[in-house]
Amino acid sequence: MTEATPGDLSARSRRRDADKPEARLAKGIYPPTEEMLTAPVDPEVSKAQADRLRAVWDDPPGWRYWSAVNNSEVGVWYSMTAFGFMLIAGGLALVMRLQLAVPDNDLISAERFNQFFTMHGSAMMFLFAVPMFEAVSILLLPAFLGARDMPFPRLSAYGYWAFLIGGIFVMGSLLFGVGPEGGWFMYPPLTTIDEGVGPDIWLLGLSFIEVASIAAAVELIVGTIKCRPPGMRINLMPLYAWYVLVVGVMILFAFPPLIAGDFLFELERSFDWPFFDPERGGDPLLWQHLFWIFGHPEVYIIFLPSIAVAAMVVPAAAQRPMVGYNWIVLSAVGTGFLSFGLWVHHMFTTGLPAISLGFFSAASEAVVIPTGVQLFAFVATLMAGRVKMILPMLWIAGALAIFTAGGLTGVMVALAPFDWQAHDSYFVVAHLHYTLFGGMVFPLIGGIYFFYPFIRKQRMSERLGRISFWLTFTGFNICFLPMHLTGLLGMPRRVYTYPEGVGWDTLNMISTLGSFVVAAGILVFAWDLVRPKGGLMKERNPWNAGSLMWAHDIPDQFWGVRSIPYITSRNPLWDQPGIVERMDAGGYYLPDAQEGLRETIVTSAIDARPQHVARVTGPAWVTLWAAAFTGGAFIFPTFHWYPPAIVCAVAAVLCVCYWLWTSTALIPDNPEKDVGLGLTLPTYVSGPAAPGWWGVFITMLGDMTAFASLIFGMFFYWTARADFPPPLAEHAGAGWVAASALLYGAAWGATRAARTLNRHGRGAAARWGLGGGAALGLLGAAALVGSVTGLDPTSHVYPAMLWALAVWTAAHTLAGTVMQLFCLAASIFGKVRAEYDAPIWNTCLYWHFMLITALVSAAAIGLLPRLL
Amino acid sequence: MPARPVRDLPRHRNLFRMIFAPTVWAVHFLLAYATTAIWCAKVGGDVARLAWIVTGYTVLAEALIVWFAVAMWRQWDYMDDFDYVHDGDTDEDRREFLGHAGFMLACLSFVAVIFTALPAWLIGTCA
Repeated sequence: MTEATPGDLSARSRRRDADKPEARLAKGIYPPTEEMLTAPVDPEVSKAQADRLRAVWDDPPGWRYWSAVNNSEVGVWYSMTAFGFMLIAGGLALVMRLQLAVPDNDLISAERFNQFFTMHGSAMMFLFAVPMFEAVSILLLPAFLGARDMPFPRLSAYGYWAFLIGGIFVMGSLLFGVGPEGGWFMYPPLTTIDEGVGPDIWLLGLSFIEVASIAAAVELIVGTIKCRPPGMRINLMPLYAWYVLVVGVMILFAFPPLIAGDFLFELERSFDWPFFDPERGGDPLLWQHLFWIFGHPEVYIIFLPSIAVAAMVVPAAAQRPMVGYNWIVLSAVGTGFLSFGLWVHHMFTTGLPAISLGFFSAASEAVVIPTGVQLFAFVATLMAGRVKMILPMLWIAGALAIFTAGGLTGVMVALAPFDWQAHDSYFVVAHLHYTLFGGMVFPLIGGIYFFYPFIRKQRMSERLGRISFWLTFTGFNICFLPMHLTGLLGMPRRVYTYPEGVGWDTLNMISTLGSFVVAAGILVFAWDLVRPKGGLMKERNPWNAGSLMWAHDIPDQFWGVRSIPYITSRNPLWDQPGIVERMDAGGYYLPDAQEGLRETIVTSAIDARPQHVARVTGPAWVTLWAAAFTGGAFIFPTFHWYPPAIVCAVAAVLCVCYWLWTSTALIPDNPEKDVGLGLTLPTYVSGPAAPGWWGVFITMLGDMTAFASLIFGMFFYWTARADFPPPLAEHAGAGWVAASALLYGAAWGATRAARTLNRHGRGAAARWGLGGGAALGLLGAAALVGSVTGLDPTSHVYPAMLWALAVWTAAHTLAGTVMQLFCLAASIFGKVRAEYDAPIWNTCLYWHFMLITALVSAAAIGLLPRLL
Repeated sequence: MPARPVRDLPRHRNLFRMIFAPTVWAVHFLLAYATTAIWCAKVGGDVARLAWIVTGYTVLAEALIVWFAVAMWRQWDYMDDFDYVHDGDTDEDRREFLGHAGFMLACLSFVAVIFTALPAWLIGTCA
């Protein structure tokens, strides 16, 4: 055990550290001594502290409630909205089942049926499964980690409002009969030649929601690695946090390829750039690749969080720590990796080389290993403990049974020759519903039953829960088990009706009956969820679970935790006696809010040593406005109304700048703060110690993935098409491209120099660097766009691809310029000073990525085609 | 308690070492896939030579993974106290936890790389 690193920098080390991020470090005693942790707390002082905390963290009153950003509010809105979309999407499924109940039915038209199955899949994936994970995690993660809130509360609120607006827009299209009809994966060319607005609604509406998803993923990753309580080393994290980390990172690498695909797709639909048009050098298969690079990890992005829920329920049911914590971490991480090697198994019938199919088939079989390990760890825990068959455990048990069946058919369809037979038949429908119901719906509902006492401080009904379970479980099997057979008998997916007497009639009728039993089960659950339940619970820990979340307050307090505990165990409530009482008394870290600010502790990524007191943002309307304008920027282009879209985009950027200017990286009155237990922490940090820096870093990793997908597209055309680049094609102007690369290099250099100059107290020179960097960056973008202006992007995919790269880079340059100018203004108005320089660190970090983007773009536009 | 003192080094706190082996799997996978795609599109014909190239990637990848597995096995340091739970709040627990998880990920990656290589050996055609 060591003392905390001494914080006062001597004159010598200050010079040496001038370019390091930490202008100040933690001071005092860490870890706390046994006497400190047992010292009595004065009840009078504690009460005064509690009153101050309560005043700071309370929700705004009255209608201003909707400006709240607390994770406890946003998480509930988010999950209830996602559940609402799930009910609507489930309703669509019931109508489809009615249509298919009897042969030659004419309940709904083929067109409406197409819209329904498209929106059923899209909504279940984009509006329910992924947002639900994020919603539940936003709601629960701070409690698991004993944190006051997520690191960026306003970002969660922004993500939620963006999700709500986008979701209503996409689902609303059904009411006007203009919904997308191309299936949830929107394959071109069917969808590129569609004359309606359906595909545009899908592309732009869901891109908007994907942006919100990535925002939430960034928030969750930073929350997991930087907002753990002191002492909660990485080997002590709750398994839920491990899964959040893995899934967050997966979202970061899975969603951007789809966004890149959407970008190309919308360029084709709006401006006729022929990315997917084979007559002009394009290839519809590129879309399938980009979609499924997203789409298959997506399955695991849905599945792993549910396993995370199970990983919290199982130890509570078995009343013992999880057997094989390491094995579960191994399998979560391993599944996260391997799931990216499966995407082509959705494309086995597209005529790729047999060896290529083999690679993906092999990876699809390999992923079974880590998936199986997790399930065996659960079974081992249940066998080793004394199991109480609590209601949540019933749902988890049902989930394991159904998921295993889905996994077994998964092993079957992962074999290419079998898949050639079953592809696009009802066998696949049965398989995917078994994996998703078993891997998502059942654990989720089990989790709601388990966590409800934490969320609402009330109990759900044991009796209704059991009724709901048995209805859902039997109904599910009645509905989907026969579909395996229907599929093997040859019934294709997505047909709106079928002729009599081909052997599908009875099976379809059984499936339809089963679907209504499922619906009844879900409705019983929904009723149990919303019905009035009388008074609050008496006991705080109804399941006698070991995780930190069950130290919650009844009645609810918005402060998250009264004081942030020092953790030495994986199951603190089991292993650290007296921890709850001491948390309540304010005997741990940060028990007070003297300055009237919302604060939480930021710790180091691996060993969770306290580093910083982060001031987090409070209620605001600007997040709502920012979401509304971002929505406008995505929704207006659907109808080709570009001027209002541009106005909205500018307004959204202004809103975000206002929000950052007024509430982030504020210069504190006092650069350090006593957080209790003899520890003093800096109140302002920059660089890698600051959550904001991690937010930028993680966002840019996702952005790089999207960019890499565009570069992949270029190579894809080269391998797939003999005419890429077309012989005798006109190339981009080499001089312009070279000039652009040099200008970008200079822009990056100026920005990087500004950071050091500013830290050395040479603010004026730093301002020149920032302003000059902005000007050079814009010139670089102009030169890059200038190099391709002579080419016609509608003539062939080659010039279109060059244009797309130039537009992508230029758009990123604009964002980078806004950041430079923000720092310039902040420096002029004293918001950034020598040691208060977080915005400059973040801008520099952005420009590191910007430089990579620009140089790779320049190489891909100017150099690569001449080599190919 | 450690049977013999081990100095806790920065690399023992490095999460990226834990995921090094699966990253090798990912790179190997992409290389095998990209090489096959280019081979079948631009060269065609002789798949035997392609199989040799993929075998080369595989040998290289497995060597890297084994090398790393050994490093992680050392970091786990199982043989000093036969600890495989690592639920304490000490540097040693954290170090051995990351070593243990990294070692098992390396084992998984080793198997997964072989899985990836199998098609190149078993399937004799681009068609």
